Amino acid sequence: MSSKIQAAPHPLLTLLRLPFTVLFAVFGFINRLRANRAGFIGFLGLLAYFVMTFIMPHFIPFDSEVNLDEIAGPVGSRIQLAVHRDNAHLRSFEDLAGKTVGVVDQTGGPSLIAPYADSINIEKYRWTSRRAGPGIRAALVDLANTEIDAMLIFSKNVAELRADSKDPELQALLAEHIVISNPELGPPHLLGTDTQGRDIATHIVHGGRILILTAVIGGVISTLIALVVGSLSAMIGGAFDAAMTALSNLILAVPRLILLVVLAGLIRFENTLFLGLMIGLLGWPPLMRAIRAQVLSLRERDFVEAARSLGLSTYHIMFREMLPNMISYVMINFIFAITFAMYEQIALLVLGLAPIDDYTWGVMLYFGRSRGTLYNVDGASMALSPVLAIAFFQVCLVLFARALEEVFDPRLRAAV
Amino acid sequence: MSEQRREAVLRVEDLSIVYRTKRGDVKATSQVSFDLHPGEALALIGESGSGKTTISLALIRKLPKNAVITSGHIRYQREDSVQDVLKLSNRQLREFRWKDCAMVFQGAQNAFNPVLKVRRQFEDTAQSHGWTDKAAIRERALKLLELVRLDPERVYDAYPHELSGGMKQRTLLALGVLLNPQIVILDEPTTALDILTQRAIIDVLNDMQRQLRFSIIFISHDLSLAAEMADTVATVYAGEIVEIGPVNDIFYRSLHPYTYGLLTSVPTLEHLQDHLQSIPGSPPNLINPPAGCKFHPRCGFATDACKKEDPPLEHDIGTHLAACWHKDRLLESRKEPV
Amino acid sequence: MTDFELLDAGHGALEGLHSATSKLVPAPVENFYKNYYVRVFAQAILTIWAVLTVTFFLVRQMPGNPIDVLIEQILTQEGISYQEAYDRVAASFNFDPDATMFDQYVDYVGDLLRLDLGTSITSPGTKILDEIARFLPWTIFAVGSGFLISFVLGIVLGMMMAYYRDSVLDHTLSLVSSFFTGVPNYIWGLLIIIGPGISWKWFDVGAARGTYDPGLTPGLNAAFIGSAIEHALLPIITYVLATLGSWMLSMKSSTTGVLNDDYVNVAEARGLKDRRIITAYVGRNAMLPLFAQLSISIGFVLGSGVVIEEIFVYWGFGHYLFQAITVRDYTSVQGAVLILSSTFVFSNLFADLTYGLLDPRVRISGEK
Repeated sequence: MSSKIQAAPHPLLTLLRLPFTVLFAVFGFINRLRANRAGFIGFLGLLAYFVMTFIMPHFIPFDSEVNLDEIAGPVGSRIQLAVHRDNAHLRSFEDLAGKTVGVVDQTGGPSLIAPYADSINIEKYRWTSRRAGPGIRAALVDLANTEIDAMLIFSKNVAELRADSKDPELQALLAEHIVISNPELGPPHLLGTDTQGRDIATHIVHGGRILILTAVIGGVISTLIALVVGSLSAMIGGAFDAAMTALSNLILAVPRLILLVVLAGLIRFENTLFLGLMIGLLGWPPLMRAIRAQVLSLRERDFVEAARSLGLSTYHIMFREMLPNMISYVMINFIFAITFAMYEQIALLVLGLAPIDDYTWGVMLYFGRSRGTLYNVDGASMALSPVLAIAFFQVCLVLFARALEEVFDPRLRAAV
Repeated sequence: MSEQRREAVLRVEDLSIVYRTKRGDVKATSQVSFDLHPGEALALIGESGSGKTTISLALIRKLPKNAVITSGHIRYQREDSVQDVLKLSNRQLREFRWKDCAMVFQGAQNAFNPVLKVRRQFEDTAQSHGWTDKAAIRERALKLLELVRLDPERVYDAYPHELSGGMKQRTLLALGVLLNPQIVILDEPTTALDILTQRAIIDVLNDMQRQLRFSIIFISHDLSLAAEMADTVATVYAGEIVEIGPVNDIFYRSLHPYTYGLLTSVPTLEHLQDHLQSIPGSPPNLINPPAGCKFHPRCGFATDACKKEDPPLEHDIGTHLAACWHKDRLLESRKEPV
Repeated sequence: MTDFELLDAGHGALEGLHSATSKLVPAPVENFYKNYYVRVFAQAILTIWAVLTVTFFLVRQMPGNPIDVLIEQILTQEGISYQEAYDRVAASFNFDPDATMFDQYVDYVGDLLRLDLGTSITSPGTKILDEIARFLPWTIFAVGSGFLISFVLGIVLGMMMAYYRDSVLDHTLSLVSSFFTGVPNYIWGLLIIIGPGISWKWFDVGAARGTYDPGLTPGLNAAFIGSAIEHALLPIITYVLATLGSWMLSMKSSTTGVLNDDYVNVAEARGLKDRRIITAYVGRNAMLPLFAQLSISIGFVLGSGVVIEEIFVYWGFGHYLFQAITVRDYTSVQGAVLILSSTFVFSNLFADLTYGLLDPRVRISGEK
């Protein structure tokens, strides 16, 4: 008998071994996850999101420069250079030195050309004027008549002008006198521009961090409360259990989002952190009930009975015997808690009930809706980009959590 | 036996079944043949995993999805026509099941749909086979429930969870004979029941068989049950029938060392406790079964011949067949005082 | 939205209190209480009482006491005397200013029993109950039909997935359902507006606002019903998309379990017709575990109504509640929360009763 008891390894050795143990565990985990293709995709997606929201912002500056006032550019839009047919050799800003260049206000052109204001004569056209109609049209007519040498057009306008068959005169003018000498003068906007002409792609890169952090805070708080309250309820029982069960039932009696909307509307959440806290404080009851049920059932199991009959402390039984049996279940629910928190805070943002100081995906969505770009094909990117960013993030989380469910031992769930 | 001359109601010929698994094909039964005569009770006995349940499931074609029948016929005779069960269409098969051949499964605890009353489940069964008159169904069901010694009215209108384990088992027996089948397969009809309930079930079965005249195939590792109920006993080892014969021959003059081993591993009043012995070793791996006689690694009588060639299932006297090269030595050994 | 199957649903409110009190009552009452239907109903009433009590005291303890805030507001806006403003606020809150908090509470509950929820603060004279009666049916209509459609569809698709496990159909539907579950419901709403609505112009987003076309008289006429369905269609589709996935996956896993149960095997051996086995043996049993999630799911759909109705400009209860919140109409919010929780609690009650009909076992033991 006694020969079977091994001496505990030297603490230093354990410490040295730790990184390898962790590394092996991680590799083993990824390997097991690979069997579940959807889950693996979710895992890779989450890694991609991590890179995008926590690493890329350090390299890609947030585009806060207001370029256009009321024009939202579609995906890939950029500034193009239009010239008279005779001046087709003019292609860059350098070529334009000393020339007169037409720019329409509110198209991004003015800011693009501003650095060259010393060398180039800039002719500004108003976006619309009551006398001359659309500024772009006035400018093109001037260009056809060689009153100006070139003009900057937003790629979106070119497409529109070409498609506008209702104005054959303008079409003829374009066809006869005007060519696009450089279709790529300005940088392209991968996801288009928002109502202020700012690049949406940079906003997407920067807009996830705070949202995800808040969701994680909410998830951590609700999971922790659920874990502590749930196990204590089951272990202590009696009045504490009755009180906690009644409290959880009371919170569950009002649909959660309604509760948050009412509180957010009446109290007015001041900052994002507080929002995460509120979400966490209201989110624990379902998991608490599940954990309470699990602890109750684990309590009756043989190994816990054995531990108790050996006279081990409640602390030991909870953390050494029970927690390892619930940890995977709690982990999976933690991920689901994050998706809930994400769902709830963005819902509040969309309704305009959450703080909008940080320009997150939710705030983009809020502005996209409130400024009406949602109802405009060209501007849809402003709402659609954050919509897709949020949707894919949530899907990745769900796929990942589902895969975890399969990877971890399913016996626990069956036992409840 | 007088039934011998009459046509067999069920004739299993050369039945081989394999289970396709990741590790290889499990040869669950190989070349099993036997006849079942009207009114006869046949017992299939053997250890767990010997393939007896596979044989019974094949009879109603309820094998698991990964099972493949590689050879054989199951000929079933109804009135004057003979059908091969393995060739029935889905529709014919559905009609064959329960009406011609009913199977009372092991562990009746979960055999009933928990959300439907017993009455509804009797009606479902009868209606699926063409009965329409609920009153007639009720009348027959009540009669059968009485036959299995239950309070018919109460049980008929109960939900399954309101019945005890023994009551469920007896209700299932009544349901089994509801459509007056020619064959009833009983898979471990008495396991998981207490000894008194077992006794009651056996009595009920004997009663019912006497009154309703159906044939029984029952599967068991309980030899006392076989001795009490069976006319014919077949010993199954590693997917093969190694010995088959009238019940008395099997019990008092067994010709296969495996059957003999099974008999001596059971405490009886005649054998003293210290004579009790278990069969050494464990059942063979059916993915790569041993060559020759499959029992030879565990057999005290094994010789080189056993390792090389599989003994055929041969006649001894009359209908008693056994697959062993050393029947004589076995008989000899039993004459010696042990 | 996300996986409910993990979360033990919030069934049977205030169980803790119940087990404590049930020991104190005499035997006949206790037996009566053991009746499944009585117990479920009593729990529903108790929950509603708890919610109304907590809302009552919570609103009065709100930071910047709403009553003072309102008096201040009316004073500055209308230049009337303090007493007048005070009386008006007191009238809309339904309380006697001189009474203690407890007496006010008793009055409030008494009024509630007479179905008097008081009047709105911001638009004096408007009875809250009338407002609720005007808005609530639309939400119940849209949420209810969305919920039913997705429940039924989820059950059918989930069973198909279980029957054709590991086929292409199963894998496709699994992925689709994860996608449906993962994408938040208001995102579905926005996607419907951006995609079919704006980009492909399948329907006119503007015309779908409201609950029915103006100029129609509500009633049982084809034009009105058609218009009502048309207006509710987008919210309904959204509710379906957002909840379908979790039903499918739960139904798949429970059907897979049931298919391995003995009684299904026995039913096949009994030569029952396939249709009978699928409906009464597999389907009915596989559905039972889904009832445990029903509660959370109903609450979820009901809650998401606030956002969905805002997005589609559907004038239902969520819209009403949101408007009341934006103008800080405390009495209306208080009434709305109470009615909404009652709706929630009673839909749970309905689910519990249906469950009792489907599973004979709970009627006796009371356990799921």
